Amino acid sequence: MRILAPLAVLLAALSFSAPAAWSLDKPTGPVILTVKGKLATPNVGETAQFDLAMLEKLAGRTGTMKTPWTEGETQFSGPLVRSVLTAAGAKGNVLLVRAINDYFATVPAEDAIKHDTILATRANGKLMSVRDKGPLFLIYPFDLEPALYNEAYFSRSVWQIKEIEVQP
Amino acid sequence: MAATPFSGDVIRKASRITAVLQIFAVVLLAILVSVYVDISSRQRDMRDAVRENAMWSVYQLNRESGDLVHDLQLLLFSENLAEDRLQELSVRYDVVYSRMNMLKKAQFEKNFAIDVGVGRHLDLVQRIIFDSQPIFDAITAGQPVSRQQLEDLDGQWSRLFRATSDLLVYTNTFVSSERAKARIELEGLQRKSIALIGLLVLSVAFLILTLQRQLRSVQAAGVSLEAMAEQLSVSFQAAEAGNRAKSQFMATMGHEIRTPLNAILGMVELLELGRLSPETSAHIRTIRRSGEALLDIINEILDYAKIEHGKLELERRPVDLQGLAETCTDMMRGRAAEAGNTVTLELAGDWRARTVLSDPTRLRQVILNFMSNGVKFTQGGRVTLRMRQTQRKGVLWLRVEVQDTGIGIDEEGKAKLFQPFSQVDASISRRYGGTGLGLIICKEIIDRFGGSVGVDSTVGEGSTFWFEMPIEATDAVVSSQGERDNAPLAALRRLRILVAEDNKVNQQVILGYLDHLGQDATLAENGALAVEQAGAKHFDLILMDMQMPVMDGIEATRQLRAGSGPCCDVPVVALTANASEEDRRLCLEAGMTGFQAKPIGIAVLHRLIREMGGSSREEPDAVMSQPPVTTPKPAAVSHPVAPAVSPQVAATVSARRQEIAEILGEDGFQELLDAFFEDAVDILAGLHAMLASGERQKLDPLLHNLKGSAANIGLMDISELSQALRHSDPAPADIERLTQMVDVARQSLSAKDQTAAA
Repeated sequence: MRILAPLAVLLAALSFSAPAAWSLDKPTGPVILTVKGKLATPNVGETAQFDLAMLEKLAGRTGTMKTPWTEGETQFSGPLVRSVLTAAGAKGNVLLVRAINDYFATVPAEDAIKHDTILATRANGKLMSVRDKGPLFLIYPFDLEPALYNEAYFSRSVWQIKEIEVQP
Repeated sequence: MAATPFSGDVIRKASRITAVLQIFAVVLLAILVSVYVDISSRQRDMRDAVRENAMWSVYQLNRESGDLVHDLQLLLFSENLAEDRLQELSVRYDVVYSRMNMLKKAQFEKNFAIDVGVGRHLDLVQRIIFDSQPIFDAITAGQPVSRQQLEDLDGQWSRLFRATSDLLVYTNTFVSSERAKARIELEGLQRKSIALIGLLVLSVAFLILTLQRQLRSVQAAGVSLEAMAEQLSVSFQAAEAGNRAKSQFMATMGHEIRTPLNAILGMVELLELGRLSPETSAHIRTIRRSGEALLDIINEILDYAKIEHGKLELERRPVDLQGLAETCTDMMRGRAAEAGNTVTLELAGDWRARTVLSDPTRLRQVILNFMSNGVKFTQGGRVTLRMRQTQRKGVLWLRVEVQDTGIGIDEEGKAKLFQPFSQVDASISRRYGGTGLGLIICKEIIDRFGGSVGVDSTVGEGSTFWFEMPIEATDAVVSSQGERDNAPLAALRRLRILVAEDNKVNQQVILGYLDHLGQDATLAENGALAVEQAGAKHFDLILMDMQMPVMDGIEATRQLRAGSGPCCDVPVVALTANASEEDRRLCLEAGMTGFQAKPIGIAVLHRLIREMGGSSREEPDAVMSQPPVTTPKPAAVSHPVAPAVSPQVAATVSARRQEIAEILGEDGFQELLDAFFEDAVDILAGLHAMLASGERQKLDPLLHNLKGSAANIGLMDISELSQALRHSDPAPADIERLTQMVDVARQSLSAKDQTAAA
């Protein structure tokens, strides 16, 4: 709730990023995600930093599904992990997904490429606060691939994400 | 049957085992189903068990609250209440908040969410978190926070940390006990599965065992069935042999009875020729009638034995239907008159086919049977014979009806009519007599013809017996036998005729006839001599006996036709006693021109010579296309077995005698008789000798010889028995019987001479 992106900022981000498809724009709003590691297109120092507008501009998906952490069906939407990685020009096989409280999970890059895994920004259309596991929640496509619905993937489903470190 | 190893016990045992097997199969199925249900419910449970890890979540909450307390105390200690540090603290709070929310909302292991202890601890945690919410909301909103507030918060949060620690411990205990429970449950499931598997293995083993046992019992049953079938087949063969023996016995007995009966009838006829008082005459008539009735019965029984044995054979010869109908009515007339009945004949105006190919003897037998029934059951009425021909689907059918005005038959009686050994009722058999076999024989005969038999009747008004059968039209015979018999024998052109005949009596008869007919006859004793003579000299006609010593007629004809002598294309007419189709075929194949049944009568001989006379060289085939019809005038002579109503078997001798005597003179016949009896003594002596020495293959020519010569002088019974013995394996008793018959014949014929002399 604290990272509410003003409409103006969002529009600005859209207009600025449109012509530069090969390079990553600098974030204009509060940074909610930092991608580290070997990057082809970093925008802040050696890292790629994203605000909400930048993330919501990327190719994403919306899926309605059951998760162990929500009551009933919940609609999650947000950018695909692979589009985030592409935007950052990230190369690597392992993703260290780190949360605000420094909890992290090791996620194979494969999970982002093979599956339509997203960094959910919204649950039921609403932005997620930190109290509600926001601002970013790694959501596997449990609706498309029920086989993923098990503890192995649950442990990779990191919420309150603040950083992804791409490792070789 | 008692000895058979196959018993019902085996079958019953096998079926019991099968029942047990079936029950087992059902039980097995039920077990399988229950196992499947159990497994699938476990699977569902396992799927449901895919949950968030409660222990981990509680630990996270505890750690986050610890971190929060730690950060707060650090902040209070440093005394620096800067905005950004407060914001950091606020984020920490948010994380703890989210962790607490998680514990409230997420799905954890079974029973965790509903556990009372968990709920209590969680409520406490939630209360503390909610209590501190306003401060953090204020921080987020950028409002200033006093140190006092933070210190109060520190006190609250230390409580929170303790509460989460308690929750952690509780959760650990809870999860451990749940895990233990789950393990016990799993072990239980494992034990259950092992028990189920054990049961399955047991049932399968038992299944295999019982199947094996059943297989063994089935095999045993099969073996005993086979044995039983074999036994049955042996029994059947034994029964068949018994039946054959019975039929043989019946045939023998028939002959046995007929022989003295023929003698009785013959004697009676001789007696009737003498001068008798009216009283004696009446007595004798009674004897004759009774004898004839007895002969009818025996003939019926013999016929039935034949039918039962499947030996009823049908001939195919041209039959003049009109002639047949007339003969039948003529034959019945006398008997009908005795019962005060009239016999009428109604024939269709014009025949579609007056002459048909059929068996005249059997046809006559059926018609006469119907008519004699009609006469028997009618008193002072009328018996009508009708014949009609119809065309059905391109086939010509003959319908014959015999209608009487007698007592009639009711429905019940009709049903019994064509059953063997049944008469309409017992009182009938007492009143009217009869074997009750007549109609079944008729039915059998008509069945063989491919036709059907039936009766329409009204009690008190009379009955109509009818039969229908398909017939085949054929060319009419040039002229009927009867006319020629009565016509005086016209003078013939003198032909040179070679007679090949080995039998002394037959030789005398034929030579005598030929002499009477003014022919130039030469005799050959056997086939070889005949071929020799025919090679040396030309003849106009050769009469060839079929069975002769040295060379038979067939072989002689074959050699004659193959050679180039003066007689290689002369007509050869076969003389045979066995006028079967097979013989006919053999004769024609050998190259014979015609075929004549023995004993040959003078009229037939006359016709034969006349036909061969002028055209022997030009049209040898003429005879072939019109084979001589051998329907002799007295039915009993050529077909003694036929159930003629008035067979007059004994009279055949006198009939034959008359015929021969007319040509050869009474002395000539006497000579023949003497020659026959002379021959007979030799033949019988020979037969006895052969039988004694066991040279059975030599019996046949002797029997054939005796048969031929006996037939020639009209001793039909001797001729028949000789023929019968040729086809059976004669015992000394049979030859003895033959000897006795010859003796009887000799005595009776000399008695006849005496009568004639008187």
